[in-house]
Amino acid sequence: MELLLFILPVFFALSVLVMPQSFVRTYGLLGGLATLVLTVVLMANYDPNAGMHSFVSQEWIPAYGITLNFGYDGISLMMLLLTTVLVPLILLSNFGRELSSNRLFTSMVFLMQFGLIGVFISLDGIWFYIFWEITLIPIFLIAYWFGEPERKAALMKFFMYTFFGSLFMLASLIGLKSFAASFAIEDLKAVQLAPEVAVWLLGGFFLAFAIKVPIFPFHTWQPSTYSKAPMAGTMLLSGIMLKMALYGMLRWMLPLFPEALDCVTYPIIVLGTIGVVYGAILAIKQDDMKRLFAFASISHVGLIAAGIMTADKDTLSGSVLQMINHGLVAVGLFLAADVIERRLGTRSLRELGGIAKQAPKFAFWFAALAFASVSVPFTSGFVGEFLLLKGLFSFDSVIGIVAGSTLILGAVYTFRAYQLSMYGPVKTSAFADLSMSELIVFAVIIIAVVFLGVYPKAVIDFVEPSVTDLLASIKQTPIVP
Amino acid sequence: MDALIVIFVSGLISIFAAFAKKPSVVLLGASGGLMLAIGLWINQMVTGQSLVNINYEGLEFDPFSLMFSLALSVFSLLIISVGYERFKEEPDHTGEYIGLLLFSLCGAVIMTAFTDMFMFFLGLEILSIPIYVMAGSRKHDLRSNEASLKYFLMGAFATGLLLFGIAWVYGATESFTIEGIAAAVANPEVAGNPILLVGILLILSSFVFKVGAAPFHFWSPDVYDGAPHAVTGFMASVVKMAAFAAFLKLFAGSFGSSDLRDFWAPALAILAVITLFVGNLSALRQVRLKRLLAFSSITHVGYTLLVILSNHGLSAFDLWFYMTAYGFSIIAIITVGLVVNDAEDRIEALRGLGKRNPLLAIVAVVSILSLAGIPPTAGFFGKYMVFSHAWNDWWWLVIIALINSAISIYYYLRMLGTVISVDETPGEKIKVSPLTTVVLLICLIGMLGLGAAVPFF
Repeated sequence: MELLLFILPVFFALSVLVMPQSFVRTYGLLGGLATLVLTVVLMANYDPNAGMHSFVSQEWIPAYGITLNFGYDGISLMMLLLTTVLVPLILLSNFGRELSSNRLFTSMVFLMQFGLIGVFISLDGIWFYIFWEITLIPIFLIAYWFGEPERKAALMKFFMYTFFGSLFMLASLIGLKSFAASFAIEDLKAVQLAPEVAVWLLGGFFLAFAIKVPIFPFHTWQPSTYSKAPMAGTMLLSGIMLKMALYGMLRWMLPLFPEALDCVTYPIIVLGTIGVVYGAILAIKQDDMKRLFAFASISHVGLIAAGIMTADKDTLSGSVLQMINHGLVAVGLFLAADVIERRLGTRSLRELGGIAKQAPKFAFWFAALAFASVSVPFTSGFVGEFLLLKGLFSFDSVIGIVAGSTLILGAVYTFRAYQLSMYGPVKTSAFADLSMSELIVFAVIIIAVVFLGVYPKAVIDFVEPSVTDLLASIKQTPIVP
Repeated sequence: MDALIVIFVSGLISIFAAFAKKPSVVLLGASGGLMLAIGLWINQMVTGQSLVNINYEGLEFDPFSLMFSLALSVFSLLIISVGYERFKEEPDHTGEYIGLLLFSLCGAVIMTAFTDMFMFFLGLEILSIPIYVMAGSRKHDLRSNEASLKYFLMGAFATGLLLFGIAWVYGATESFTIEGIAAAVANPEVAGNPILLVGILLILSSFVFKVGAAPFHFWSPDVYDGAPHAVTGFMASVVKMAAFAAFLKLFAGSFGSSDLRDFWAPALAILAVITLFVGNLSALRQVRLKRLLAFSSITHVGYTLLVILSNHGLSAFDLWFYMTAYGFSIIAIITVGLVVNDAEDRIEALRGLGKRNPLLAIVAVVSILSLAGIPPTAGFFGKYMVFSHAWNDWWWLVIIALINSAISIYYYLRMLGTVISVDETPGEKIKVSPLTTVVLLICLIGMLGLGAAVPFF
């Protein structure tokens, strides 16, 4: 049953290549829904208190210490759910756009999903690394084939940057393995390191994750890549791919190097907090809507990364909730930017205005998204950010206050974008209102966000036992003096 | 041993079959002989003894040499099939080309199986001399002639160094056999003898020349660039693999004691660093395919030197896996270059390959990913094995190698971008002959399946 998680995406990625052209989109959507159903079934069968459910655990290449170790707990399942919900939404939101090859596009999205699912359920360092890198190929191809005309330099930067980071993760893995019996996460956790070694090894992981998230000052690839990639590529990047890095921090970085946490926690939290303010301030000044949302993304994920580093139970649950919220809202916002661009051919805020008069339905859903993005109560962002800020505040009140500025700054840049594009004199030609497929995407996102805002316990209760286990494994490891 | 004879005889047959001026007969004879040899290698690997028992003191076909010989024979078979299209344009000489290639393969096999310095030297010469000729096989092409002459002069010089080195080592250890030398250097007095150390350095430099590591690499870009595609593929896969097998055999076997290792390993480590940077930085701005591959192969030599440096029980397997993965990738991409058949051999000629022939594009993409070492291709597993075993003694070198992997992404990515580009109106469609298609598919399976196949070895 669990093996279907691997089989389904690969099956759809290959079979979509031979589907008739007219059926490709529907087929892709069906495939996305099939994996979603699978995830839901797995979640229904999973008892949150049961801890890690390991479904494959055996030797693979003993001589090289590689094992076959796959499994999931509440956190992994939440990430799987996010992936499998967003993939159909991303496919659906592409219905209105003509691509040079729908087959290749859909195939690459499924390949991407394959890699992402692998990242979320790998419990062996090398497999984690392999899947981590596999995701890079389809996203590069999607952006390369379907992106904007002057995308090549940006993509080169993106690929080199992230590959550079991952290689350091590989170095850290190899270095850590030289002390351990195998790459299985349990064996790696059992290693006890001297703090000065642990710091360097953690540094390798952190570099890989910090580049992918991205945490200030490793973010320079992100705005150009987000704005040059096609809409679906941006959605995949911001919606799911950066969650991979946050998940990696949770699952791998914290438990593997407890010895080093004493001296790295504070710097990383400070970097994350700088990112929160820095991203927000830059977002305020942006003219290109996609770039604006890209900087907003830096701001939001900086907060999540800082929250993860506090290694506190409520804050970690909050960060998982906030990852889901950010995934949903980012996809929605980038779709909104794309809806505008698709109809008017521009994303420049200076050239936009008065769309609300022409397209009231779009104005309503965009407004709802904007509210979700600034975390008003009864949206999931409110609960998530509240938990994160609470954790940061109790960690260090100054950092908590600085990070809290995200609430104000976030409102400024989001509503500035909304106001400039939707209100004011009508500056553009006719604007067709939302199509059915776009409407569904917006509606699903808003319903999910509001549901999680009203009833966040659904997520929190599901992940809390897993978070407690995770924290216990950090705290248990005695620190070598 | 029997398989070696089969290869040699089929080489002879190829040369005589050339009188018939029917290229297909030559191909049939050569590939039949090679397949028979491959079968014999496999038989000996499985049963533990050869079909016809011929013993010769100087050669010993242990599992080490068998697995290398098998890969060498498979690569030669692929290259003959690929090069055939081009060879048959000159029906007068097809037999010579293929015959020389098979003779060279004999030398390569000997280099994996030698037990004393005589056979090693003979193997090296048998390997090299046919390649001097083959590199110049496009007689009317100036660059092919240059390649041949350059390779010959430099090769002869390196051979001289090697012979000189063997003589010095003999002077110190009074032995020619691998085991004899190993036994002699166990005596600390011999191991500290300056005569021995000079000999080791001379042998080391000739090896560094043969594998094309910096600072003895200057011949390789010109020779790779000038030689015909198939010969370039042969040099990059077979010659390099054989040279590394002998390198490992000699330096882990004869000179592997920890005293001697402390003497030559630091020197080799510094050479590895120089090799990595020289190869990578020179590759960044290349516009011709084979020249780029030449520099990238210098970088790969840098990674492979880590195997020689790391003192580990699995070194031989690491080396075999790395070179096999590399061989499949380089043969695949050179085949693509050969099929595209651009007079100037520009990378730009690969532009929009996906629309001109999807199979070629897929093979090119996978082989570029494999050369760059991106999972899930075999190239990644090879790199991982090499790096993980080198970590304990040479962690700083591993980090330098990883940084170089990141640099190399730049030119591989540029190449990848050219292959998958869709913006331009595609050029004319490319036809691939059935024989080449088979070769491409085998390479593709090799590149994708080798990693997953590790547990079964």
